[in-house]
Amino acid sequence: MISAVYALIAIGFTMIFGVGGVLNLAHGALIMIGAFTYLAATSAAIPPFAGFLLAVVVTAAASYALYAGLVKYIEDNIVITFLATVVVALLLTELVIIQFGSAPSQLLPVISGTIYLEAVGTRIRYVQLLAFVVSWIAIGALWYYVTKTDEGRSILATSMSTRGAELTGVDLQKVKSRTWLIAGAFAGIAGVFIGTLQSTSPQMWLSPLALAFIIVVIGGIGSIKGSVIAAYLIGYLETASVEILGPSFQGVLSLVVLVAILLLKPNGLFGRELVHE
Amino acid sequence: MSSATDRLSTATGRIDQSLQPLADVYNRLFGDYFGEMNGLQFVLIFGTAAALLTAPFWGNFGLVRAMTVAAIWAIFAMSWDIQSGYTGYISFGHSVLSGAAGYTTAMLIHNVNPELSMMITIPVSIFAALVVGLLVALPSLRLTGPYFSLITFVAVLIFYRLIPSFSQYTGGETGIQSVEVFTYAPVARYYYMVVPMLLIAVVLTLIARSNIGLILMSIRENEAAVNAAGINATKFKIFSFALSSIPMGIGGVLLVHFSGGVDPTTFIVVDRSIEMIAIAVLGGMSSILGPLGGAFFLIVLRDYILTDIANLGSSIRWTVFWALVLLVLVFARDGVFRKLWHGLDRIGGDRR
Amino acid sequence: MANEDNNTLESDRTGNDAVGRRTFLGAASAGALTTTLAGCMGGVGSGGGGDDVFKIGHLGPTELQMGRGAERSAELAVAELKDNGGVQGQDVELLSEDTGGSPSEAERVTQNLVGSDNVDLLVGTFVSEVTQGIIDYVAERDVPFIITGSADPATITENHGQDYEQYKNIVRTGPINSDLQAEGMAGYASHLNDLHGFENFSILADDAAWTGSFRDILPDLIEEDSDLSVVHEDRMALDTDNFNPFLDDAADADADVVMRFIAHGGAATFTSTWAQNEYPFALEGISVPGMSPEFWGATNGTCLYETTSQSGAGGVSELTDKTMPFVEAYEEEFTGDGQDPPSKPMYMGFNSYDGILFYAKAAEEAGTTDYNSDLDAIVDAMLNTEFTGAAGEISLYGEDSDYPNDLKESRNEDGIISNFPVTQWHEDGDGGVVECVYPEQDATAEHVVPEWI
Repeated sequence: MISAVYALIAIGFTMIFGVGGVLNLAHGALIMIGAFTYLAATSAAIPPFAGFLLAVVVTAAASYALYAGLVKYIEDNIVITFLATVVVALLLTELVIIQFGSAPSQLLPVISGTIYLEAVGTRIRYVQLLAFVVSWIAIGALWYYVTKTDEGRSILATSMSTRGAELTGVDLQKVKSRTWLIAGAFAGIAGVFIGTLQSTSPQMWLSPLALAFIIVVIGGIGSIKGSVIAAYLIGYLETASVEILGPSFQGVLSLVVLVAILLLKPNGLFGRELVHE
Repeated sequence: MSSATDRLSTATGRIDQSLQPLADVYNRLFGDYFGEMNGLQFVLIFGTAAALLTAPFWGNFGLVRAMTVAAIWAIFAMSWDIQSGYTGYISFGHSVLSGAAGYTTAMLIHNVNPELSMMITIPVSIFAALVVGLLVALPSLRLTGPYFSLITFVAVLIFYRLIPSFSQYTGGETGIQSVEVFTYAPVARYYYMVVPMLLIAVVLTLIARSNIGLILMSIRENEAAVNAAGINATKFKIFSFALSSIPMGIGGVLLVHFSGGVDPTTFIVVDRSIEMIAIAVLGGMSSILGPLGGAFFLIVLRDYILTDIANLGSSIRWTVFWALVLLVLVFARDGVFRKLWHGLDRIGGDRR
Repeated sequence: MANEDNNTLESDRTGNDAVGRRTFLGAASAGALTTTLAGCMGGVGSGGGGDDVFKIGHLGPTELQMGRGAERSAELAVAELKDNGGVQGQDVELLSEDTGGSPSEAERVTQNLVGSDNVDLLVGTFVSEVTQGIIDYVAERDVPFIITGSADPATITENHGQDYEQYKNIVRTGPINSDLQAEGMAGYASHLNDLHGFENFSILADDAAWTGSFRDILPDLIEEDSDLSVVHEDRMALDTDNFNPFLDDAADADADVVMRFIAHGGAATFTSTWAQNEYPFALEGISVPGMSPEFWGATNGTCLYETTSQSGAGGVSELTDKTMPFVEAYEEEFTGDGQDPPSKPMYMGFNSYDGILFYAKAAEEAGTTDYNSDLDAIVDAMLNTEFTGAAGEISLYGEDSDYPNDLKESRNEDGIISNFPVTQWHEDGDGGVVECVYPEQDATAEHVVPEWI
């Protein structure tokens, strides 16, 4: 279920890499911004649904600000970029601690309630279902956007070949800005759900980021399809390792698979060769 | 602007001239190995070295302690630099190497024999760092660019996850706190850290200035060309990782005997790797001494100036710390100390 | 841009140069003088009193509510000491340091407090790892250290138990160590059985030092009561954020009660996962985040019906005649508009407050606070002092016991450990309220079962 949310995170991460060659390690921090915006909104008595929209908008804006205010100026140097973005993440962590304190808080679910699945022996909250549905709608919309509309196609084209896209008259700056906005919005959606289903704390950026890493590497950097499939693979592996090895081994299996895939297929399942331009 | 520099350099040039004889003696003796410098640069290097060696005589408790910690981090940052800075293969996994050494020491003492002497644990631990280094390097160096960075990042995650899984040996989240410290005496402890650091700095500088360093840098600039010249780039990449693992191991051992124990937060977590990178980048990547300066600058700032002097709370302190690192990344991406060095070159007398 | 560069460069240069030249001159002779100077250099001297202010160093994660509550409580204790004329005629000063919950940071601040500020007493440390990280240093320096937060018994058994002489300056005045807590918890399990007929227990513990006793000895202690059985046990990694699998397992094992021992940030998620899914068991044990008086808000009320054990009982029950005056003083000073949480002292607050006043009393009895020359007298006085604190009676185990220098448990007439009370969140109009539900002599309300069971 939550795999769909993981896919959202990974898609945002991988799109940014695709169009700009930027490894945005602050992607997890954007998720955190989403969750905390929602927290601030709901504790100011804004209804959950409006708070959700607000969180998405704010995160998208933050993402764009990150690009236009920082990454744009340093993206020519990949090392500096990923160092700078991780520093941004760490900086935001401290700012969140100053503002909200370091103790985690619990988000008000967008919808509450639960159903018990007798057959599977587990319980599912409605908000989990909602996360699933919303994530798939978002992914579907993105899919439509990048394959059926000109604007969207330019993003896809840029991620295939920056130079080729430029030659065919694509405005690179615009494409990048749009990509960061979309990635930010996705991170905002993911932030609210991760924050509700897991925890909302100043450290919450790290594990979604690590997951996005793993998913993206397995799926292939730059591939949207790969991200979705890898997200489900990882989701399945997590469940499987809980079943087989017990709950304390969550995550170990996926790391092992990751290493294996990297060694066998260094560019991931659906990746393309990294071209130095 | 340029006239200001000119005026400045007429003044400093004179100082430089007066120092030149000293520098010349040095240049004649060692210039071939370490590179030549002018008078001001000579004073910077040896003045700093002298300042480091005499710190307990002019510093107070907090400052000396911060410098003790900085010495360990300088070792980490320099070790990171000889690998990542020089070859351009940015490793996010160096905390695993120091962690391997620290954990080996602690686990030997905890699981094998508490009486084990340092004569045994220290070499074994450094060797462990080397082994782990090769373990990480061999598979991951097949990858390039961001993929390499990602897999080293994952290496940290794997080690971090394995620690609680084997908590009967590793002590889990608690770590193991039963390691003997060298000493609690602040002065002696300082020298325990700073002397190995200076030795490592000298050795690494020597290597970096040799042909090996040149090859490593060529790998960063153009790996294909290196291969075309008949040099096996992969061999040198692995070599640089191994070369980096050994001082990482030494640093890890120093850290474990400084703090008297290991735990994942102090040794393994990816934040530690990022700190090493931040230090190295701030000081100036691929210069060995830059990271050394970066370590003293950042750690003294964080552990002494912002705490003991400015008396800030921990989150504000880290905010300032990271904001500063970010500023350096954006505005002085070659590193503060490299700028300083070339600045001295510029304002020093015209000697060439 | 270029201009800026030049500025930083110049100031850097002059800065470095100045230091460089000065020390360069010094350096030549320094080598020869190293040994002779060692005694009298700069600020790097050896510590120890020498002033007429009694300095207390307080250590805690003051970014967390637990640490902040403790820091404030220490302030109250110091204010009280000042009002009563200080300690041994000396003025009292509190130096509070943030350990950040990390051993390395704690080590730094502790060495500053002892080596540079020359404190006369150390109080605090919440995280067991932190306590263990600094304990060797503190033992080395002989400065009296009162542990008021962490409860890991190994802190005492692995140190005092091995080499009492070395560690005698370190005592714990609260909470009772977790071996004893486990025993108290087993007593509480029997109480739940009497009350509601609960029989099957599940134990879920953080993978951390402080839960060791609950993982190792609590199952056997529970099963000593032949009506009870432990049907499920597991440990949770500290970065766990999905608790469904753990709770599913407990439900599959037909647990009536899950005793969870959790101190990390996931506790709120744990609670809401349990409440929103209406898992069919009661949630008991120890939840450190759950001790926060603000936990109701942090979990949006999903903490209703969950309990936690905590010394001080959350400040809602009159444990001794000092409890309420202390809680009221705290609330007067630190609760209200614009004040950061916690609105009650929390358990470490009780213990830090008690610990400082306990030491002051012991120091009066010893007639000295000069630990450099009279440590034995101070330690003897501490071991002989009986003190009524806000959280309960304080007296310490002696050198030859299982837990030297550790807080003695109090027991009621049935031999049940009584100074480790349990609190539960109850409904109070739209909000929630903490009630003490165990032991019976301190209870302010009866334990209730979640309505969905």
